[in-house]
Amino acid sequence: MKKILLIEDVADTAELVQRILTARGFEFMHASDAETGLQSALEFMPDLILLDLGLPDYDGQTVAGWIHNENDLRSTPLIAFTAWPEETARDMVNSYGFNGYISKPIVNVNEFVKQVASFVK
Amino acid sequence: MNPTFAVDIKLIPASQFTVDELTGIYNQTRVDYMVPMPMNATRLAEYISVYNVDLEHSLVAMQGDDMRGVAMLGVREGRAWITRLGVIPTTRRTGVGEALMAGLLEQAEQLNIQFDMLEVIKNNTPAHTLFLKLGFYEIGELLVLRRSPVLPPIDPTVADAQRLERHEALTLVGRDRGAQPWTNQSESLFNAQEVSGLYLTLGDGSRGWLVYQRQKFTLTRFIYKTEVGDPVKMAYAFLSHLHHQYPRLDTQLENIQINDPHLPAFYQMGYVESFRRIEMWRGTPPQSLLAR
Repeated sequence: MKKILLIEDVADTAELVQRILTARGFEFMHASDAETGLQSALEFMPDLILLDLGLPDYDGQTVAGWIHNENDLRSTPLIAFTAWPEETARDMVNSYGFNGYISKPIVNVNEFVKQVASFVK
Repeated sequence: MNPTFAVDIKLIPASQFTVDELTGIYNQTRVDYMVPMPMNATRLAEYISVYNVDLEHSLVAMQGDDMRGVAMLGVREGRAWITRLGVIPTTRRTGVGEALMAGLLEQAEQLNIQFDMLEVIKNNTPAHTLFLKLGFYEIGELLVLRRSPVLPPIDPTVADAQRLERHEALTLVGRDRGAQPWTNQSESLFNAQEVSGLYLTLGDGSRGWLVYQRQKFTLTRFIYKTEVGDPVKMAYAFLSHLHHQYPRLDTQLENIQINDPHLPAFYQMGYVESFRRIEMWRGTPPQSLLAR
């Protein structure tokens, strides 16, 4: 079973993602802020990290830096989960070493699942 | 204070709430923003302190026992700043935002302040329209920039480089930045921790300085000046020294004016644009701000 960690502060969004992914057989874990997110990543060793760029303690770009500095997480696909416009999201993804991005809000569940599955290692 | 509402709203001073409560309502108002910028209580408390937010004159919109919106007022000599304005999504389009704004402007007037400043995220049309309606006018466009620590290492430009301790750095910043965007005014640096700087002299005689705040994971709050020489060359030089010195720190810069002559150097150094804001004023800056 592939493991997905979502680092996302909005509870409703996290709940929606959880329902979608667990229904499709993914093991799911959620952290609602940056520091908990890093800790969870190190404990859970996910196959994919979905990372919101706007978090209450440190933003997603900063968390990306932490994850890149962890030997155990360096090869884990890191995906920005963001409502930012496409061009900005692309700039951030390229600049901060993400493996890609998925846009919020989720408007098409099947498309979302397909995107997640395509990034899972 | 309250104009007519579609819902029964009361405006209460923000000082009657804990920072945790204010953090909660602020985050709820931003939940559907393209750039939500959520905060935890620690960050909001720092924000309140660094930006001189006056909670006695900031407001929370209440409907019964429920918080529906918030707006904060920064207060400095001769000027006020509207910030953190937000209404929770289910209460929008009922006049709450306008009531909060009118309430804050009234609070500023009570403090005998006739000059108000704010920034609005570009393309936030409802807010922009409201501010125009209330008498604000556009001053210019501001950039929010980031630079990733993942970028390749930088070789510092050859220069005579002098590190500036906090007091030296703040002396260079001076106290005459009152007409700058609020986040980049002198007080914002004076109120911040871990402020230091660099003074560079290049081989051709160009010289300039950069003052910055170094946080645990980020460099931020840059104030800089080219005293002699080409601003782009000078900015490239001080950025190269800074990022050579702190290769693992992320960089976040707020409210860089779009016509800043140093800007090309930031892009050369790998900075990317996060988003833009529109700077708006209401009233005329007092002569004491412009003349200093």
